[in-house]
Amino acid sequence: MAGVRETQKQSTRRKVLEAARDLFNEIGYDETTIRAIAERAGVSVGSVFTTFASKADVLSQVMDDRVDALYSELDRVARHLRGSVVDRVSSVFAIHYDFECRRVKLFLAHVAASFSPTLEPSTIPFGRNARFKGMLVEMIRDGVSRGEVRQDCDHDLVLDTLMAAYAWNYRLAAQKGADAAHMTALMERQVALIFDGLRP
Amino acid sequence: MNHIPMRMNAPSLRPQKLTRRAMAKQQTREKVLQAAREMFIERGYEGATIRDIARAAGMSTGAVFASFTDKPELFDAILSEDFAALFDPMRDAAATAPTAREALVAMFSAAYRAHTAQLPLIQAALAASWTRTPEAEQLRRESLRPLRALVMEVLERGVERGELTRRFDLRLVSDVLWDLYLAGYRPAAFEGLSVEIQTDRLADRIDLVLAGVTA
Repeated sequence: MAGVRETQKQSTRRKVLEAARDLFNEIGYDETTIRAIAERAGVSVGSVFTTFASKADVLSQVMDDRVDALYSELDRVARHLRGSVVDRVSSVFAIHYDFECRRVKLFLAHVAASFSPTLEPSTIPFGRNARFKGMLVEMIRDGVSRGEVRQDCDHDLVLDTLMAAYAWNYRLAAQKGADAAHMTALMERQVALIFDGLRP
Repeated sequence: MNHIPMRMNAPSLRPQKLTRRAMAKQQTREKVLQAAREMFIERGYEGATIRDIARAAGMSTGAVFASFTDKPELFDAILSEDFAALFDPMRDAAATAPTAREALVAMFSAAYRAHTAQLPLIQAALAASWTRTPEAEQLRRESLRPLRALVMEVLERGVERGELTRRFDLRLVSDVLWDLYLAGYRPAAFEGLSVEIQTDRLADRIDLVLAGVTA
């Protein structure tokens, strides 16, 4: 009995997340209601609320599920990246831009929500992705050991600065409809600028 | 750099003598702006409706629409006011600083200080900025142009004084600095950082970025 119920719950969860992901990207986060999500998913409004605390929680879960695909791709690629620390860090960001630009409105909603004054405790806002950060710190450490980056470089500071530059470049997508290639090119220059000041 | 700052709501642009009707209109507009400011701070951009704003201002929704076409226009009017008000403190802070680095830290610190009370409003503006129409964002960018020009001027002056080089495009440097300044509002809002801590955090980031163009 419990097994059936659990399976049903999982199936509702999956349907809701898929419906929400598509609606957020098609019509926008603010314009999407829980009712519309339930309708598209073919479930009741009540059952959405038994699985999720709020619309923000749904968005957070959508993004969380989505990055699994991104990181299995990145884990595969990261080992094969060659070149300087600037090249490799830039490549990691390029892969992110490519991935997020497939559903750019969804991603913009995610960044926007991270500024929301009414953030639920269960919500993981943009910028708290441990895997993304871990991968970058690894590359910075590697840069130190290869003598490309200063020994005394503050990893957290560099990481935070890179992440802010990365996120803020999406304003070009929001304001001017810039594509992944455009943002990647800009990010490459920013990464070069930041690491230039970190040379030993 | 002969940059002439664009002054918004400059007193000289206002008509010298207002008719009674124009004065009433102006008063209504200011009442709406005040009520809207409070509502946006309390409920965020999406949460505050024109109906709420009208009620808070003690007037009909029709009267609100007589002053502003829609909510985005109302929101922009408030933000433009707030950002225009940053120009003088930022310029003054930069003017007395001996180096480009110190000028940048001082001017952004002045901005953080001026916005302390408006933090929820800035937070709402930043949240909305990712998902609004490109046209609305274009307008908002216009109101920031004089401030961004100040940052660029500080960098240019740094080059003239031999502190900085053009190893990287100064526009790139200026844009990154501006983004880092804006990004600083998020931890400020969520962690309740003081202006001093906000400034110290940003100063570390400014040092990191400037290191790439230091002579």
